[in-house]
Amino acid sequence: MIDTSLMLSGLVVGIIFGFVLQRGRFCMNSAFRDIILMKEYTLLKAVALAIVVQMIGFHLMATMGYIQLYPKTLYWGAMIVGGFIFGIGMVLAAGCASGTTYRVGEGMMGSFVALLGLMIGGVITSGGALIELKSYLQPTEGALKAITTDNPGSYVGNSNLTLANVFDLDPWIFVAIIAIIILAVLIWKRGGEETKVEGTLYERIFKMGWSWWVTGITVGIVGIIAFLAFEKYALGISGGWFGFLNALVTGDPDKLNWFTFLVIGVVTGAAIAAGIAGEFKLRAPNARRLLQQFIGGLIMGIGAVIGTACNIGHILSGVPQLALSSILGGIFIILGCWVTAYIMFMRG
Amino acid sequence: MSSDVKPTEVLDVRGEVCPYPDVKTQKKVKSMKSGEILEVLVDYPLSAERIPPSVEKKGHEVLKVEKTGTGEWRILIKIK
Repeated sequence: MIDTSLMLSGLVVGIIFGFVLQRGRFCMNSAFRDIILMKEYTLLKAVALAIVVQMIGFHLMATMGYIQLYPKTLYWGAMIVGGFIFGIGMVLAAGCASGTTYRVGEGMMGSFVALLGLMIGGVITSGGALIELKSYLQPTEGALKAITTDNPGSYVGNSNLTLANVFDLDPWIFVAIIAIIILAVLIWKRGGEETKVEGTLYERIFKMGWSWWVTGITVGIVGIIAFLAFEKYALGISGGWFGFLNALVTGDPDKLNWFTFLVIGVVTGAAIAAGIAGEFKLRAPNARRLLQQFIGGLIMGIGAVIGTACNIGHILSGVPQLALSSILGGIFIILGCWVTAYIMFMRG
Repeated sequence: MSSDVKPTEVLDVRGEVCPYPDVKTQKKVKSMKSGEILEVLVDYPLSAERIPPSVEKKGHEVLKVEKTGTGEWRILIKIK
């Protein structure tokens, strides 16, 4: 069983994360899908800013010796296939792993059904009927086996590849280049769509949706706090839910992990935020949509286990560590999302 | 509910999930004639925030965005 202080820190970080997700409407499915569907970039800008804040924060803390980075293992075939499957699933589920989780806290039964699918898909792939698929794409031998390094660099706590150690360069070079490029684009493209916000500070925090830059910075800070609290990784969603269902099915409390308490916190925090804003409401789409969301969740769960992480584990937490696995997985999550969004909403 | 303007058509997308409220609104707006009023009922926060600027971008006029209840909004759009 995980110790009480970790349980509590997971829960507290989760509540803050859930509050921020709900206020910022932070969903990567919308962020990536709407680039092609609506030419809408607001949420994408929040995601990009959160990545920059965390990239600087993680490397600063690693430089000062508070943490070590733990990039995920690069199984290249698994990242491509798992990422793409996850991307398909999140469009069908109408939300990524984090979007689905915070919307459960808003009272959306469609997201609740998607979440059940996600848990089932993950558990059958990690230890059930689909385990062969996972073992095939994450083998110990052969062409698809993990690519690692003997020279991970001083900030990295395992033998996995990052943009920095693959070239044997100082990670700060990449951090600086990526941060400057993203910030320059964000500043250059900032104008136009921001409407003037009226209201007291209380109303702007608790009643209205947040601006993209407030959301991006706060999500980034929550990610940094998560890394300091858990020490082994930053934020993650899907693994927490898989642990939850595994613990329920086996009766073994050791299956609960830090992320399990984090995701329970996320639902709680989102419910608090939605409640204060007057946005909490139990609601459900029609039967056809519910089925679609369940299947989407199931597909996301399968993809998250094959690809070793969901959108949060890869794009929000892995990319800022410059992990090659997460960069590859993240690219294929986005491609899966785009192909599915095109087929579902844009043909004809 | 104040009914200051009489809508020509009502689009009820309550219960629908992302991105259907947005997509259905755009489709409906396209099918309507100039000067007609569309009333959109939505209970999805992100869409309630995004529909008004997205139709304005296309040149239509947003007459009103009203929070009608817990997690429910009513949006009045005048077609250009």
